[in-house]
Amino acid sequence: MFVLAMRSVRQRPGRFLATLLSAFLGATIIMTFNAMHDTAGQPGVDAVSSETLATAAGVVGGYGTLLVFFAIASTLTVNVRQRAAEMELLRCSGATPGQIKGMVVGEAVAVALAGAALATGPAMLGGRALLAVFQDSGQVARSVEFSFGPVAFLTGFPITLLAAVGAAFLAVRRASGRSRRRGRARTALTWAALLAGAAAATSTFAFSATDAALMAPPAYGAILLSVGCALKAPRLLAAVLDRLPPGGASGWLAARNLRERAGQLAGILMSLILFTAVATATLTMQAVENDAVAASGAVKSVDAKNLETLNLTVVGIIVVFVCVMLVNSLYAATSYREREFGQQRLAGATPGQVLGVVGAEGLVLTVVGVFFGTAAALAGIVPFTVVRTDAVLPEQALGVWLAVVGIAAAVTTGTGLLTARRVLRTPAVRAVASAA
Amino acid sequence: MTALDGVTLGLERGTFTAVMGPSGSGKSTLLQCAAGLDRPDSGIVRVDGTELTGGGEAELTRFRRGRIGFVFQQYNLLDTLTVAQNTVLPLKLAGRRVDRRRVRDVLTAVGLGDRLGHRPDQLSGGQRQRVAIARALVTEPRVIFADEPTGALDTRSARGVLRLLQDAVRVHGRTVVMVTHDPVAASYADSVLFLADGRLAGRMDAPTPDRVAERLAHLGDDVPTGV
Repeated sequence: MFVLAMRSVRQRPGRFLATLLSAFLGATIIMTFNAMHDTAGQPGVDAVSSETLATAAGVVGGYGTLLVFFAIASTLTVNVRQRAAEMELLRCSGATPGQIKGMVVGEAVAVALAGAALATGPAMLGGRALLAVFQDSGQVARSVEFSFGPVAFLTGFPITLLAAVGAAFLAVRRASGRSRRRGRARTALTWAALLAGAAAATSTFAFSATDAALMAPPAYGAILLSVGCALKAPRLLAAVLDRLPPGGASGWLAARNLRERAGQLAGILMSLILFTAVATATLTMQAVENDAVAASGAVKSVDAKNLETLNLTVVGIIVVFVCVMLVNSLYAATSYREREFGQQRLAGATPGQVLGVVGAEGLVLTVVGVFFGTAAALAGIVPFTVVRTDAVLPEQALGVWLAVVGIAAAVTTGTGLLTARRVLRTPAVRAVASAA
Repeated sequence: MTALDGVTLGLERGTFTAVMGPSGSGKSTLLQCAAGLDRPDSGIVRVDGTELTGGGEAELTRFRRGRIGFVFQQYNLLDTLTVAQNTVLPLKLAGRRVDRRRVRDVLTAVGLGDRLGHRPDQLSGGQRQRVAIARALVTEPRVIFADEPTGALDTRSARGVLRLLQDAVRVHGRTVVMVTHDPVAASYADSVLFLADGRLAGRMDAPTPDRVAERLAHLGDDVPTGV
């Protein structure tokens, strides 16, 4: 089966591009930050520098692992779902479920290894750049030399591989539809995330305005709440669609499509909610903090600067990663709909109307994602602002929010429309026949 | 490659014509050109007295919407829509008013009045094809093009589908053009056109299955076949 897996990767490299991209980006982030452990571990590095580097590596390394897993899992699930016909064929030619699982896992391993290998170079450059940032801000001594060593390698490769293998198992299980138990686990996880998020956000009030750790509880609260909302995403989407009046033929079709595919769209909605919540909450709180420090006339401590660098890096990484994920999964999901678009066209839809359907779908997804992401972000921002300043809603929030929403809307609708336009180039009759 | 070459063909309003020929004879290409789904390199297609113009897909789609109905071998119903929703889709897309009573009547006429809320995957092949026919009829088109409408059906379901197409002609005065390779299916038509290697190879009025099969078996005799 491993031979078959290799053949299948070699024959259709394009199919695995999405997974390769996720693995590559994930491995780059993990190795870039874990190289800070290597750098800090060198002899002769002073205590302050070492701590800064270790904190950065620890925090972002953890995030990175989660993101990589999430990213690879969602791209692989799409990949496996689209190959249902091929797997049915294999099953009919005598492949056991175990052998099919072996093939998918084998492919994932090959792609993850390639991704991690490709990531080594960029990670070295990225690590060097990151160290330079720390040195420029005075958080790390100039004398510290960059090192890319065992920690970076020993985390980058195994984590990417593990994420790929785990995601592959999950994808096969999901595709074969034996996932009744997952429902209960998911509900439990959703409520745990929502409760923990609410508790974290509320606990902000237990801190005083000048506590160094004040930003942590609301930030975690916002992230956990957005994870909870994201897990509930399909249900939320269905609830919103029930209250939505259909607008025109395209809107009518879009609403039906979204309702039918709510489960499959969960990944896209999850990315949108996480993106909106994390970016809005972190950037707004950092802006409030900066202004508060400037107003009090105090000079920032190294810890405060560390936190700011970290905040901005984490947000930067999440933003880029989630954007790539969004583009990735939307592209895959839309290009897969060639046959469906063909059927719509044969039933009398003009290309413009098909694009209208895709656009309307993107719009609804964006609105739902942004709405719940904003709610989660506000749950963190409001307690923080109340404790740190005397206001309830900081004036910085609006600008940040508008920028975040603009990016989310542009990425979601843009990817869908551009992909659909490409797909529509195939004549309708051929589009319908190709997948039949 | 030339799929069709020098075919000139005019069909009377209110007739049921079957187009037959071996695989690769250009049957489907003929149908797709006539329906504006494919464009001939040269030649003119007229539907209901109006020439199919060489505009973009949007223009051709708007042209088709009001005049042409389709039935395909693979049904081409949208899985996300119910029977009733699939049927009204062309009306919705054309921005026309949807008369619920009429939709129910059309679906009742094809024997699916009690399945309005079902999804295509809950129906048999024959039932799906009848939904497709209802969808083609609901816009009251001049012409209905059917590409192997019974190709995926058992004989009983096929008979039901063919009777519906016959009724569209005899009761509602529509024109039906059906591509098929089944002599029994062709015998439901008023006349049969034979196609071989992209050229017209004969015509038969008042066809019976036996005569059609006999003619098909000898279709290659008088036409030189290239290898």
